[in-house]
Amino acid sequence: MKALRDKYCIVGVGETEYSRASNRTTRAMAVEAVRHAILDAGLTAGDVDGMLDYQGGDSTLANHVAPDLGIRLNFYMDVMGGGSSTEALVGLAMGAIEAGMCQTVAIYRSMNGYSEFRIGGTGARAAQPVRGLDLAQVPFGMRSAGQNFAPTFLRHMYEYGTTSEQVAHVKVAHSKHASQNPKALLKERVTVADVVGSRWIVTPLHLLDCCLETDNATCVIVTSAERARDCRPRPVHILGVAGRVSKPRLDFHWAHGPITRVAGYYAKDIVFGQAGIGPDDVDLTGSYDAFTFTTMLQLEEYGFCKKGEGGHHVSSGVIELGGRRPNNTSGGHLCEGYTHGMSMVIENVRQLRGTVDDYCPKAAEGVHTYDYAPGRCRQVKDAEIAMNLGWAMPPLGSALILRR
Amino acid sequence: MELDRPLPSPITPEAKPFWDGLRERKLLLPRCQACGHAFFYPRVLCPRCHARDIGWIQASGRGKLHAFEIAYQAFHKAWKIKPPYVLAMVELAEGPRLMTNLVNVEPDPKAIKCDMPVQVVFSKLTDEITLPLFEPVR
Ligand SMILES: [Zn+2]
Repeated sequence: MKALRDKYCIVGVGETEYSRASNRTTRAMAVEAVRHAILDAGLTAGDVDGMLDYQGGDSTLANHVAPDLGIRLNFYMDVMGGGSSTEALVGLAMGAIEAGMCQTVAIYRSMNGYSEFRIGGTGARAAQPVRGLDLAQVPFGMRSAGQNFAPTFLRHMYEYGTTSEQVAHVKVAHSKHASQNPKALLKERVTVADVVGSRWIVTPLHLLDCCLETDNATCVIVTSAERARDCRPRPVHILGVAGRVSKPRLDFHWAHGPITRVAGYYAKDIVFGQAGIGPDDVDLTGSYDAFTFTTMLQLEEYGFCKKGEGGHHVSSGVIELGGRRPNNTSGGHLCEGYTHGMSMVIENVRQLRGTVDDYCPKAAEGVHTYDYAPGRCRQVKDAEIAMNLGWAMPPLGSALILRR
Repeated sequence: MELDRPLPSPITPEAKPFWDGLRERKLLLPRCQACGHAFFYPRVLCPRCHARDIGWIQASGRGKLHAFEIAYQAFHKAWKIKPPYVLAMVELAEGPRLMTNLVNVEPDPKAIKCDMPVQVVFSKLTDEITLPLFEPVR
């Protein structure tokens, strides 16, 4: 189980601007994000010989992106998927290197998530015909991710007494973090009243319970710990990974078992088992915030609090900068921008290096004030272990544990 | 008459008895002839024992509202029903859960509660398609 712990590292991270009108192709953005990650790692294009990407028919594949960068590949694969793919592909990259197929893998996600392919079937996706698994939901007006997940959220409120106000604290915390992030699309801090006062999208989700739709490309580079020693930044070691772990039913997740249970229930033993640590050892988390509720449900399922106590947990201050275990210190998908999970891994890598790009003048040199007032610092002090909790749907998730 | 919602098309062979039953105002559920497991949705084999001998039982049409959501925004071009409308996850008395709409009720969280008893109402949309919708039992 623990054979690969500490043997692989994330050595480079990079992204493009977060916007709602990139006016660029996903190809151009992917090239830029990979280029930034290569520079960040202190590598050259010739050092990268593996490539992985994930997409949903909305992006440019590796066979175009690699040649644009002058990269000759020994291994590549384009994977169907959205949220929860980042962590899974980090694990696949380790496997590809371990198998001897290649040595250094760039993983990217490039999407015009606002200007081309919007969430929930508006824009280019809206015209898809009803077929296959859609049979049991589309005739009833179920289409978007929020609608698909809402039964889980609503039942959690019913069974455990979770309130909208409690869960709104996730947005409040992430908006606080985004206010320290020059890259963030939404830098304005919001209150609980702002969240519960915003219009309904689908109960129990208000507008501000939902993440942003964004144009962006992101990249992380994985290589062996041995090669990582030659890279420019402090290497961030991979302790454990669980990739796209599912509940018994993936299609109609609500059809089986307790619907308040999410995939972390199955993933946690895999990832903590590899890492040889438990939730108490984790200094910061990146619990995927497609919605406020998803952050809460995963923190609870991975054991950061008891099942059913997630509402209390996320409203207690624990997940805010300055709290015991801040979550999504970049502002996450609710405030920084939507990247299908990659940005949350990038953020945790920067946190572990001690060089998050906040407003501290010498942030790049690792000098921070730890003053979490608006427009200041977002570096977590002495962060040693970070964990990503990737989410695709209630029945599908991934996890990744990193150490500095 | 213009349709107000997207309809299932094509109907697969596995699901045909389900839709045939609805035309006769019967809610049928696939049940494994080998192990007796009743399930939803219809598919080519029993998800519990993999037997291919699938029979059909008529469900009571009664169940409980396991969870619900009130949609204030529609995302499908062919969906013409004006929000808000209620998406309902019903747990049938026979066990399986299915997604449907709750009708004949105010789309108001105060009027709708988890675990409230519900019953099927048949909504004929075309000569081919009748949908199973649900309403509160009064
Ligand atoms: Zn069977």
